[in-house]
Amino acid sequence: MTAVVAAIGQSGARRLSVLGGLARFALRALAAAGRLSRTGRWVTLRVLINQIRFTALQAVGLVTLLAAILSFLVIAQTSRQLGAVAPNFFGTIMVVAVIRELGPLLTALIVVSRSGTAIAAEMATNRVLGEVTALEAMGIDPYIYLVLPRMLGAIVSVACLMVLFDGVALVSGYIGANVGSGGMSIGHYSDIVLSTLSAKDVWLTVAKGITFGAAVALFCSYHGLAVKAGPTEIPQAVTRGVVGTIVAIFIMSAAFVAIAA
Amino acid sequence: MTPARASYLAKAFTFGVETAPPLVFKDLDLRDRPDHPSHRFNLTIEPGEVMAVVGDEDSGVGDLGSYALGLRRPISGQAVVFGAAIVDLPYYDLLVFRRRLGYLQVGDGLLQNLTLRDNVALPLRFASDHRLAQVEGRVTQLMDDLHLRAVAGLRPAQANEEDRRRTAVARAIALDPDLVVLEAPFDGLTGRAAVDLLEHASRREDGSRRTICLTAQELVPSVRRLLTRVVKVVDGEAVDEAP
Repeated sequence: MTAVVAAIGQSGARRLSVLGGLARFALRALAAAGRLSRTGRWVTLRVLINQIRFTALQAVGLVTLLAAILSFLVIAQTSRQLGAVAPNFFGTIMVVAVIRELGPLLTALIVVSRSGTAIAAEMATNRVLGEVTALEAMGIDPYIYLVLPRMLGAIVSVACLMVLFDGVALVSGYIGANVGSGGMSIGHYSDIVLSTLSAKDVWLTVAKGITFGAAVALFCSYHGLAVKAGPTEIPQAVTRGVVGTIVAIFIMSAAFVAIAA
Repeated sequence: MTPARASYLAKAFTFGVETAPPLVFKDLDLRDRPDHPSHRFNLTIEPGEVMAVVGDEDSGVGDLGSYALGLRRPISGQAVVFGAAIVDLPYYDLLVFRRRLGYLQVGDGLLQNLTLRDNVALPLRFASDHRLAQVEGRVTQLMDDLHLRAVAGLRPAQANEEDRRRTAVARAIALDPDLVVLEAPFDGLTGRAAVDLLEHASRREDGSRRTICLTAQELVPSVRRLLTRVVKVVDGEAVDEAP
């Protein structure tokens, strides 16, 4: 019995220690921004733009496709199943389910699967090849060079992709509503959706963009840089980073619902 | 930076800079033998010296570079750099302090996702206050001096071993440091290339001689001729050899 309690306690303590490590990691990454040299700022901006190109621009196609299909399916089915009982209910579904919840979640999952894995693998490789040591030996804070641009890049990218997702979902939702209800004017569709949208949805999108983006970069960087033994640890670090980010994103989603209720 | 940290940094920079030797190893236990307190490594490297510390693979000579840069804490003893016990400096002060030192780690430590040119520019961009034009000028000069212009756009994996090592040396001296620590810098290089690299590493921007501490398992005669002192690690202790 005591062994079971000890095992549970150890597991809990390990998770708490990871959370503490992540918080310290996040603070160090933020503090690093204040120590950038003049030229370093310019170079970091270049790295940031590259990061946004990879994380956001190259994901535009995938996000557009998934947003269009998801919104079409959800709205078409809602209109078809509930159209007779509540003809305008799809507006609530569009805003509450697609734009407020599923959009940010799906966008963050796309970024984790594409860029989170790349960030974790790159950081782990940097560590294994001694590049982090080389940076420190040159007097360069690895948080400035490695973590900061990726964190800012992920935040900007996730926020932008969420806006794109919402835009595509709204357009695709119109097609879904047309198919489900057997014909609807664009004016009528806009009225229904816009009457359900509120300012809260805008700030929620911004807040989720920042927190989800930061979570992707921080979890993946943290686990990537935690590699010590050698190359065999790299896939494990990637898995830990991605799984940790997914869990964090779902928990944060639930927290947002609780806070914004 | 808080006043306490700033003063600590100022102390680390100024304490003994004029009078203290660039690098002192004090009572290092290189062979992890706490039961043999007499076998301790003591060595002082004076300004302008070009010194080689040689030893077998298991002599502990390979650890000296990381001790000198404060990357690792010795089992016992300490490395004192320009009068400061480097490993005891707070992390951010240590990063700033290291900008006075150049370091070539075993292999080369080049960043694989950067070109050779960008690797050389790295310390100038992130660890100096130079303007971008000054950075580019200095990098171009270094690339020319070390015969890297033709391969500047290659990634480390695309370049040959000699060019990678030249790049690593160029990066180590980019900030014109007072002291350069080179770990096994000539492994796999020809004698001619080794001499060329050592000549560049030991010459400062103003033409004066830079203090060099290099570690190696063995040295070719052409390199020995450029050294002012050679020390061999024998049973954990420093024993002078003829250069």
